[in-house]
Amino acid sequence: MNFVIRRIAFYLVAFLVAATINFALPRLMPGNPIDVMFAQQNSTLTPEARNALIETFGFASGPLHQQFFDYMKSVFTGDLGYSIRFYPQKVNQVLAYALPWTLLLAGTATLLAFCVGSVIGTFAAWRRGGMFDAVVTPVSLALQATPAVVIALTALFIFGVALKWLPTGYAFAPALDPAWSFEFFGSVALHGLMPICSLMIVFVGGYLVTMRNNMIGQLGEDHVTMGLAKGLSDRRVQLNYAARNALLPSVTSLGLTLGAILGGSLVTEVVFNYPGLGQTLYIGIVTRDYPLIQGQLLIMTFATLLANLAVDLLYVFLDPRLRKA
Amino acid sequence: MFETLKVFLRNKKALIGLIIVLFYVAVAIFGPMLLNLDPMQRVGRPHQPPNPEEWLGTTRMGRDVFAQLIYGTRTSLAVGFFAGIIIVLIGTVLGIAAGYFGGWIDEVISFFTNVVLVIPQLPLLLVIAAFMGQTNPAVIAIIIGMTSWAWGARVTRSQTLTLRNREYILASELIGERPTRMIFVELLPNLLSIIGFNFIGSVTYTIITQATLEFLGLGNPMSVSWGTMLYHAQNASAITVGAWWEVLVPALAVAGIGVGLSLLNFGVDEISNPRLRTLGTVAAAIKAQKKIDQQRLAEVKP
Repeated sequence: MNFVIRRIAFYLVAFLVAATINFALPRLMPGNPIDVMFAQQNSTLTPEARNALIETFGFASGPLHQQFFDYMKSVFTGDLGYSIRFYPQKVNQVLAYALPWTLLLAGTATLLAFCVGSVIGTFAAWRRGGMFDAVVTPVSLALQATPAVVIALTALFIFGVALKWLPTGYAFAPALDPAWSFEFFGSVALHGLMPICSLMIVFVGGYLVTMRNNMIGQLGEDHVTMGLAKGLSDRRVQLNYAARNALLPSVTSLGLTLGAILGGSLVTEVVFNYPGLGQTLYIGIVTRDYPLIQGQLLIMTFATLLANLAVDLLYVFLDPRLRKA
Repeated sequence: MFETLKVFLRNKKALIGLIIVLFYVAVAIFGPMLLNLDPMQRVGRPHQPPNPEEWLGTTRMGRDVFAQLIYGTRTSLAVGFFAGIIIVLIGTVLGIAAGYFGGWIDEVISFFTNVVLVIPQLPLLLVIAAFMGQTNPAVIAIIIGMTSWAWGARVTRSQTLTLRNREYILASELIGERPTRMIFVELLPNLLSIIGFNFIGSVTYTIITQATLEFLGLGNPMSVSWGTMLYHAQNASAITVGAWWEVLVPALAVAGIGVGLSLLNFGVDEISNPRLRTLGTVAAAIKAQKKIDQQRLAEVKP
């Protein structure tokens, strides 16, 4: 329990750091940040909109420490201010519509990549140096080193444009209305298939290689030799003796890669024109919608930290030593 | 030195990786000299498929994709190596400081490192790059370098910690060697493989991340790199109009250097970790044993 509380405190500090970066960046810009922002924006905003944005950044009120506390207060109460591009909508509203799609994409892809990678890694290590290992490991290494944007673009070209098997954009067929119907979920699944698979392919290699190398380390340990000497079945030694221990570092790396997967999801969404955070952010970047870009950092950090906490809890379940402490 | 090189070249993965990387480096250095073109120049009609004149076709702006590819290789590799050096410098200094001095220094550095590790990288980079305004490749290299050192610092720290408990370190401490000598003469040479690993990994990461940032529209659209090529291709909806060459050429270029660098890294890993290295030897030994067994069986049977 102590362990979990310490982790939560750590995540709070990490979130505070992200929020502080958001607070500091506009103030580090040369000149009056609001003017610079509008010079790049060259939009025709009403004075009210302009005032609302100044308030969003907290430039209006008082000395620096006062501004800092005001900003933190609004962040921790979940108020991220107004979006420039989608004014008069607030950043929260814009992101709240997009976030579920990103979570669907990144969550499913992570789960698939972790399970598939760990299982294949286990078998590759068991028959290390064999044909299976010799093919699977270099291929996964190559995939791991390929950026998400490359895989997504290639998949889009092959299956979306050349073969025309799968839809090339949107989360569901535009003619449908969201409903609890078989047709709607079928359409969501069909539209999600290509983004999820291409995201999964990028990240499966990392888990595979981590698992394989851990397994090889474990297979040299005494308890594995003893298990084999006792005459236990291969399957039992492989899964209960070696794989269970080898899984621990994999779970750690799962926590650390979550941020990267969310990042990969941003790019994948842009390629597939998927209405998640990435697509929204792309519009935000093109129009230099600073509050929106800042808001996504906080939302993404929050999502990553929450997922890391889940990984920590999983760790407690997997590693009995932590339960006793 | 020569011995290490030999071991290195005997590793098939490392060798293939090295060849790929050297090829890219050669293209980056000599390509633009041999070509001597302006990659931003209009050379033909927009979206021409590959033909004898323009080997890899033209973009929607009528620019030569091949020329852009060659000049882009130079930019992307330069950014990768530049940021790689920054990452390795920061990571190694912090990692050794934390591992060697321990105590409160370690506490502070480790805490900070863990915080940076857990904040998602790409969203953070997007915010910083957006506030920097028009970011040319050098600026991108610097911001990637300043935000991506955490992993290297962590690995270097743990390796320093294990070295610190070795007897030879204790012995040199008892002789009364100064910390500077300890770090540069006793520790650093033993950390070289970790540092090399960190460097190659960081270069890969930077090249991928630069391409991603520029693809998302945070680069300077007037510079020529793989990322801006992808950005222009996406803006021109190159894929949906069937101009696959405009998209796949930079995409495969990024993928190729990624594969080369990671093979190189995997080879370095196998060389420095004997457990992973002996696999090939073990397989060869098993094969040889089987052959001998069969021969014996054949001798016994008749």
